[in-house]
Amino acid sequence: MNIKANNVDITLGSAHILKSISIMAQNKKFVGIIGPNGSGKSTLLKCIYRVLKPESGAIYIDDTEINKMSYKESAKKMAVVSQHNFYNFDFTIEEVVLMGRSPHKKTMERDNAEDYRIVNECLEKVGMENFKGRSFSTLSGGEQQRIILARALAQQTECIILDEPTNHLDIKYQLQLLDIVKSLNLTVISAIHDLNIAAMYCDYLYAVKNGQVVYQGTVEEILTPKIIKELYEVDSEVVRNKFGQLHVTYYPKHILEV
Amino acid sequence: MKNKINKSEGLIKKTPAYIILIITLLIILVFSVLYAVTIGSTKIPFNDVYGVVFHKLFDTGNPEIYGSGPLHDIVYYIRLPRLILAVAVGMGLAVCGVVMQAIVKNPLADPYILGVSSGASLGATLAVMLGIGTVFGSNSIGIMGCLGAFGISIMVLILANVGGRSNSVKLLLAGMALSSVCSAFSSFIVYFAHDKEGMMTISYWLMGSLAGAKWENIVVIFPLVVICVLFFTTQSRVLNLMLLGDEVSITLGTDLHKYRNFYLLVASLMIGFIVYCSGMIGFVGLIVPHVVRIIVGTDHKKLIPVSALAGSILLVWADVMCRVIIPKNELPIGILISIIGAPCFIYLMIKKTYGFGGKE
Repeated sequence: MNIKANNVDITLGSAHILKSISIMAQNKKFVGIIGPNGSGKSTLLKCIYRVLKPESGAIYIDDTEINKMSYKESAKKMAVVSQHNFYNFDFTIEEVVLMGRSPHKKTMERDNAEDYRIVNECLEKVGMENFKGRSFSTLSGGEQQRIILARALAQQTECIILDEPTNHLDIKYQLQLLDIVKSLNLTVISAIHDLNIAAMYCDYLYAVKNGQVVYQGTVEEILTPKIIKELYEVDSEVVRNKFGQLHVTYYPKHILEV
Repeated sequence: MKNKINKSEGLIKKTPAYIILIITLLIILVFSVLYAVTIGSTKIPFNDVYGVVFHKLFDTGNPEIYGSGPLHDIVYYIRLPRLILAVAVGMGLAVCGVVMQAIVKNPLADPYILGVSSGASLGATLAVMLGIGTVFGSNSIGIMGCLGAFGISIMVLILANVGGRSNSVKLLLAGMALSSVCSAFSSFIVYFAHDKEGMMTISYWLMGSLAGAKWENIVVIFPLVVICVLFFTTQSRVLNLMLLGDEVSITLGTDLHKYRNFYLLVASLMIGFIVYCSGMIGFVGLIVPHVVRIIVGTDHKKLIPVSALAGSILLVWADVMCRVIIPKNELPIGILISIIGAPCFIYLMIKKTYGFGGKE
């Protein structure tokens, strides 16, 4: 499934956040959006997953404009894992994941055996099947995000949007979560602020600054000291590790001044 | 014989625990009502009470004893309507509490949170002090209270939708603001009316009581509450999503906006009628949802029906206690529920590891 954002423009308050921005995620590709804080990464994703409405421009899922779909229809096509979720009320893990089935349900329809089977399957995929009866609030941050991922998987969509879901997680859980997503072979659009994570997982990168795409291309094309300097205003060096992965190391000011 | 036992065990195992709980509560409720009808300030023998009940239900017994006269009047016109009203009010308040907590996404909410209580007291004040609403006849306080409660809910709803879509915070703020306006108006009227008796009437009314139960009210409120409660039991999925917030719900395929407005309307209607029949009975709508959550969890599929039954049972027994705890006198039910309910609630809070949503 392809996801396309075409010339999306949005102003929040007095700030012109997105300026005619366009991105495209091809079927089964892992697309990363990088850029400094406030560049509009999250806003763009929010437009794609329909929490914000663009003033002009449009989002397409496989050539269907998203505004022409009901929320239920779009929730059957793309699922979202966003930044840390905190709830005022305590659900069990099974209940949280079961909510991922709601786009497939009519208002009065009951959950059936099939739904519970899917919930179990999704919990297995994220390695949390033994936690089923536990309450959500007793889990660690990493475990909670895996449950939210399981909920997204229960939606059985072909596309998944990650809105910096690994913020505040230890490196172990960051890699674990993204490894799970990568192994599922879905269309993925992810906002990422750690460039090394982007290098490890992404097939294609969009570099966003001030609400515009300034560069786009493969990891090799985008992760260069020149572009990083332009995006984040920091000096860096890009090296390859023994697996051939790119790795960015940064040079803080106090080292350069010596 | 052995086979039979195994079979019934299998049946119990297969049925979800909450269904068993609901059936148990239903049985407790029926027996509570059956027992409560025999208790009252006038001592009436057990047999005679049921004589009247069975006469009414199945036309048995001697119509001269059970069909008319003081015995018949006490049981049929005083005790029974009161108990049935208690069932309806308890059910309505508990479910409205659950729904309001979901609508404003806040465990502190109760049925009166969105300005309903101050709206009701303003209505009552207008009726008592200024005589507005006398056209409604003998229960003008109740009707004005109901109109005040319902009117304020509608205004809160409109105000929260001005300048963009409503959300739980806007609803809460609109409720609080309108609440202040109403209380200020009530105080203003009370201050200038210099009417001590009127003030007493208002404060008694606000304490809540089931004493005014009449069959003609019950035939309206009982079906209304039951229908609304049944409606909310079918809405458990959306109510669950409400607790996750607007953004997450959209990604799960539900735009909460219209549901929130509609639920608020239904809940306000229920509360309006409850206020009309019984004044303001506090604490039930706050405590019952929390106690039930300790037992069955947050899932509204279980929470709504169990809360409805628990609320009814609580109110039936609270009403019985009100009538017997002080001989020859009746304690306002609101006071009793708070005096006994609050410490029980605190005990549960300390004993159980109930996070109220927060981390333990």
